[in-house]
Amino acid sequence: MAAAADPDEDLVRRVGQGDPAAIQALVARKLPRMLALAYRMLGDAVEAEDVAQEAMLRVWKQAPRWRPGQARFDTWLHRVGLNLCYDRLRRRREIPTEVLPDRPDPGPAPDRGLLAAELGARVDRALQALPQRQREAIVLCHYQELTNIEAAGLMEVSIEALESLLSRGRRTLRLSLADLAPGAEPAGEGGGR
Amino acid sequence: MNARPMTEGRIAELAEAWGGDLRRWPEGEREAARAWVEADPDAADRALFSARQTDAALDAVPRLAVSAALRDRVIASAAGAGLKARAAWPGLRRLLWLGGAGWAAAACAGVVFGATLNGTLALERQAEAVLEQASMTGLDDLAVLG
Repeated sequence: MAAAADPDEDLVRRVGQGDPAAIQALVARKLPRMLALAYRMLGDAVEAEDVAQEAMLRVWKQAPRWRPGQARFDTWLHRVGLNLCYDRLRRRREIPTEVLPDRPDPGPAPDRGLLAAELGARVDRALQALPQRQREAIVLCHYQELTNIEAAGLMEVSIEALESLLSRGRRTLRLSLADLAPGAEPAGEGGGR
Repeated sequence: MNARPMTEGRIAELAEAWGGDLRRWPEGEREAARAWVEADPDAADRALFSARQTDAALDAVPRLAVSAALRDRVIASAAGAGLKARAAWPGLRRLLWLGGAGWAAAACAGVVFGATLNGTLALERQAEAVLEQASMTGLDDLAVLG
């Protein structure tokens, strides 16, 4: 199977030569992706900004000696971003600074629907509550839109294992958001209508 | 390039893992899945309904926007990391530099030569004027003595 051409190759080469326009273009193309990856993985906007900035700094250092044809640049950048996220997640486990409340999501109030922002926040909490590997699989495949081969390679699992992680993650999400489904009874309430 | 026929069971597995949008499904199974969907769209809608709901929920999570401050910090960090504009062809710059130096040296030499030549010409003209003046004085003397 012939490797597909890397769409970032020319831009990275120009960045390596210090071309200011290429630097701006790469920031516009990759910084939002790195910020999204870090935010979905860490669930914290400040930490996500730090990770995205650090990942881009690694890009500047790597660009002058980037050798095309070995890996797609976007895949390499996701590897860097994920490693930075792993470091922070590991640190959180080693130094527990905050104990998250162990209580079920209260769900929507029974007498009103969810506003979009509330719905987003609710799903975000459910996503953050997933086991790390399941969340990672969903982030890479759904949000970052990587192919199954790229995501499995980054996670160092087989395609079948990736598919299993995705299935379990999505099933857990669906269960924790079951009260939002049409016709479902509000969570945490008696249910009588 | 997957010759395996699509079954309802496999459709359910794929929807459970990859969601209700066939464009997200593994490339090798996409074509067979599309054919399956086109063969019975109503059954496909039923099979993909739950997965599409999960997709919609995932898409409801807000996306963190890149602030101007973050963008500026990242662009500034490129210069800090040593990325500076270089000539696309480094040899050209050297040639241009050498060429410029050559022209500068030639110009200096020209100035020195010009100044020397000017000095020499001035001295010669001065000597001629003295001789001319001397000869004119001679004439005057003869006339006076005459």
